[in-house]
Amino acid sequence: MAVDTGLFVGMTLVYLVLVIGLGYLGYRQTKGNDDYMVAGRKISPVVLALSYGATFISTSAIIGFGGVAAQLGMGMIWLTVLNIGLGIFIAFVVFGKRTRSIGSKLRAVTFPDLMGKCYGSPFMQYAAGLVIVIAMPLYTAAILIGGAQFITSTLQVPYTTALIGFAAVVALYVVLGGLIAVMYTDALQGGIMLVGMTILLVLTYVQLGGVIEAHTALAAMSDLVPGTLAAGGMTGWASMPAFGSSIWLTMVTTLVLGVGIGVLAQPQLVVRFMTVKDSRSLNRAVLVGGPFILMMTGVAFTVGALTNVYFYQNQGVIALAAATGGNVDTIIPNFINASMPDLFVVIFMLALLAAAMSTLSSLFHVMGTSLGFDVIRRTGSGKAAMRPIRVATVVMIVVSVVLAFILPGSIIARATAMFMGLCASAFLPAYAHAMYSSRPSLRAAKISLVAGAAAWFVWTAFVHVKESAALGLSDLLFGVPAVLSAPWQDVDPLVIALPLSTAALLVGLVLDRHAVIAEGPTGAA
Amino acid sequence: MFGITDPAIWVGYLLALVFTLACLVYGLLNWNNGAEEERDGS
Repeated sequence: MAVDTGLFVGMTLVYLVLVIGLGYLGYRQTKGNDDYMVAGRKISPVVLALSYGATFISTSAIIGFGGVAAQLGMGMIWLTVLNIGLGIFIAFVVFGKRTRSIGSKLRAVTFPDLMGKCYGSPFMQYAAGLVIVIAMPLYTAAILIGGAQFITSTLQVPYTTALIGFAAVVALYVVLGGLIAVMYTDALQGGIMLVGMTILLVLTYVQLGGVIEAHTALAAMSDLVPGTLAAGGMTGWASMPAFGSSIWLTMVTTLVLGVGIGVLAQPQLVVRFMTVKDSRSLNRAVLVGGPFILMMTGVAFTVGALTNVYFYQNQGVIALAAATGGNVDTIIPNFINASMPDLFVVIFMLALLAAAMSTLSSLFHVMGTSLGFDVIRRTGSGKAAMRPIRVATVVMIVVSVVLAFILPGSIIARATAMFMGLCASAFLPAYAHAMYSSRPSLRAAKISLVAGAAAWFVWTAFVHVKESAALGLSDLLFGVPAVLSAPWQDVDPLVIALPLSTAALLVGLVLDRHAVIAEGPTGAA
Repeated sequence: MFGITDPAIWVGYLLALVFTLACLVYGLLNWNNGAEEERDGS
């Protein structure tokens, strides 16, 4: 992205000073385990909402998914519907309040710790911690790569320097300041993102002559849909793809359901419910969180689709043709660069940097606490107990940086949807059961967790062709990129694995009931 | 609606706005509910 580098460097330095300052504030306020892991359970509602939203929305959600909207159209708005309805309202009101109240009673400090204490089972804590420690570095590496590529293209620094520098700045405040530093910096970053996206929406409609004019022009472009996309079921940028077509399946199962439902059981988001002192804080956070997410994904998807109008009116091509090297991730940056005033280009770049840093800091923190507390199973409190968790956080950061250097780009692009799918498949039924049952069944939770994770892995590695082809396991064992043909190979793993893990939970509950009846009143007592 | 003719799209926009409004209304109606209730419970 070509921009006034001096202005961007100056504003970035001011931003970094603020971030480091907030990180230092977090460090000063961190006196023990509770502060480091759950921000002392005293975070304000506004900071919670902005932190939750900024963690939820990464750079890839804005430019990656915005680019997908430029390619596939406004149907992506259904992901915003789920983001707000499930990701905020249901997450806070249905899950958040129970999580906060149970987490506070049991003194749980991480998501695996919450699961372990709800079920009275070290296995649940260890297994949940292990899933995070093994799978989250993939997602983290994707965020790191996206951030480093962005810094390289804007500041013209070598990729290796950008990646290591980016990780080091975030690592500094996460390792020293724990979750207080993470959430304070998240709130600042969320504020910058909100300003950036609001200006983007307004200037886009101004550029295109108004709301109705822009939408009408987009709807009139349906005959410009490329033949390959039309053959896949695409009907235009202001209409849904044909029902049941491969593009419809990808949009609805992977992008809308996969990411929309996946957000409900993400450990880095669940832990935030335990950072506030009461349900009132969650009620107030809902008020901020809903509009925040609307202004993030709603704007990204709308502007993404509307870039087609801009590029067609000004360059005579659709957005996909204006993408650098055919990469949809470049559509939103190219649009902003071509159409917006210089000052806004700089503000938007800061917003993207903020989005990447806020997501990355939360992932670093959750990976570190999972390894240092849940998997290695340290106990105690106070400053001494924080040392091994800080060391574990550094270890997980190093692992993620190494992965960012060695992983292929093909699998990285899908890491967000993959991680969310795995979390929902493995954790969601067991998490919901733990929150809403007075005597949750450990047997049912174990079966559900193992069945969900296994089903997700099998479908990802052998059926869902976008991942199985990149992973290469199916090709190695069966000589084909995917063992099932269309339409199955377009169906997201979550759509298969989540119902299976839910069914497994129900089977476990039935087995438990039979066991209690068979044991009789003596055995039950 | 607003230049979008496919109901499958404008219903999506409408729902996104309705859910946002629901978040606002819920937050306002419950602004003072649930304060420090854990102290009563412990």
